[in-house]
Amino acid sequence: MTDLRHYDVIVSPAITEKSTMASEQNQVVFNVARKATKPEIKAAVEALFGVKVTGVNTLVRKGKVKRFRGTVGRLSDVKKAIVTLADGDTIDVATGL
Amino acid sequence: MQVTETLNTGLKREIKVKVPAGDMEARLVKRLTDAKDKVRINGFRPGKVPMQHLRKMYGKSFMAEVVNEVLSNSARDILSERGEKAAMQPEIKMTEDEKEAEKILSGNADFEFDLAYEVIPAIEIKDFSDIKVTRPVYDVPDTEVDEQVQRVAESARSYEPKEGKAADGDRVTIDYLGKLNGEAFDGGAGQDQPLVLGSKEFIPGFEDQLVGLKAGEEKVITVTFPENYSAPHLAGREATFDVTVKAVEKPGKLEINDETAKSLGLESLDRLKEIVRSQIESQFGSITRQKVKRQLLDQLDKSYQFEAPSNLVEAEFSNIWQTVNRDLELAGRTFEDEETTEEEARAEYQRLAERRVRLGLVLAEIGEKAGVQVSDDEVQRALFETVRRYPPAQQQQVFEMYRSNPNALATLRAPIFEEKVVDDLLGKISVTDKKVSKDELTADDEDEEAPAKPAKKAAAKKADKAEKPEDDAEPKKKAPAKKKAAKDGE
Repeated sequence: MTDLRHYDVIVSPAITEKSTMASEQNQVVFNVARKATKPEIKAAVEALFGVKVTGVNTLVRKGKVKRFRGTVGRLSDVKKAIVTLADGDTIDVATGL
Repeated sequence: MQVTETLNTGLKREIKVKVPAGDMEARLVKRLTDAKDKVRINGFRPGKVPMQHLRKMYGKSFMAEVVNEVLSNSARDILSERGEKAAMQPEIKMTEDEKEAEKILSGNADFEFDLAYEVIPAIEIKDFSDIKVTRPVYDVPDTEVDEQVQRVAESARSYEPKEGKAADGDRVTIDYLGKLNGEAFDGGAGQDQPLVLGSKEFIPGFEDQLVGLKAGEEKVITVTFPENYSAPHLAGREATFDVTVKAVEKPGKLEINDETAKSLGLESLDRLKEIVRSQIESQFGSITRQKVKRQLLDQLDKSYQFEAPSNLVEAEFSNIWQTVNRDLELAGRTFEDEETTEEEARAEYQRLAERRVRLGLVLAEIGEKAGVQVSDDEVQRALFETVRRYPPAQQQQVFEMYRSNPNALATLRAPIFEEKVVDDLLGKISVTDKKVSKDELTADDEDEEAPAKPAKKAAAKKADKAEKPEDDAEPKKKAPAKKKAAKDGE
């Protein structure tokens, strides 16, 4: 039984053109919780997908300011993690968890 | 696509079709490539979506579409390849097992299904020239026209107020209130009702008792409703009517001349006679046509004997059966009342249904060979005519119903098609005119047919007769429509 905490760390895989390009470098992109740290992400990915992680880079994409009927709103920030896997390991993002 | 025939008896065919998984996959990939440049998926510019992702998103639904396409196309392809015509939409049987279906959708299993249908037998159009029809024609004599003119004139006759007592032939204006056992009943009252004495418009005895009354007089009269009166709660009962005579008028002189014609809105008496004559002629003309058609159909029926597709017959039969049962129910009768049993009636109508289907197929084939076309204009006209028969409030609705429903429109098209085919046929066969008397013309067809079906019971015939008018119209009406539907559906 894997630790349930891991599921809170990883929100979803990010499937975009850019992430498809990254997958050629054996990297996988995830949307992760805003508070998640690199070691947490590494632990989570290793536990949930059964792979070896060699590196984690993170970034926070700031939410945009949106106006709806004159009211100013703000989209929430999203933290992304670009996880580099050890040679030979893969994650089939399409199959899900 | 592998096609194997598993059943071929009589008109029934069953065919097993197997589409290998590879074929399905190829079709799917083609679809996906088509869709590739069109779909918009978040995170990708159009046309930049990797195939793998596209398949994950749309693979299942596209595969379902492929399956549908295969099903609908294969039925048509197979039929045209085999040179057969299906009587109805072929029935498709495929696996019901969900796992099996899942596998097919994901492209891992061969796609197999069975087609079951009945073919329309190939009908060879025979030479029409040996079909002989006698057309009974009735020449309308002048006396009959005169009689009719007299009747028309009478209805337009003018009345003048008259002092004194009402006599036979006078028109009185009355208020009346009918009572059964001293209680007023529904529909038994009227105000300012004009009534011509001796016209037999009211129940027997009513008018007789008004003779001798003056304007302003009141009288209570007692009459007995006849046994066969249309309202059952009144039939045979004795009722009293409180009648008040408001006016008595005597008829003006009845002369048939140009004046009378003018009062009817026509320019002269000759014109009136002309109109009356053409009316009578068209009346008898339609009877003549119906008789000729019936003869023609009987002969066609005889010369084209083949096995009719059973599901068409079945459909037709259940149609007839429903109508018959409903009619019986409405009339409050049972088969016993008609001196027949349900089984006998069933057998009878089964035969009728088969005849209709067979004639329908034959006529459709003949029409197709002869290149009979029904133009949109004609359908449009028929549509308006049908719509006009409904009360104004519903007309719009009925119109819309026909407009939006191609099947309903087909039911309009079918009789026109049939009429045209019959016209076409009448031009090809030998028709001999025969002068007949009025009685002969209006005599029931049943007499002619009796020797042909001696075993039939009188009652069965009676029921059959009730169907007759339809019999001529219905069979082709149904079949071409169905055939068309089948074609569209494939």
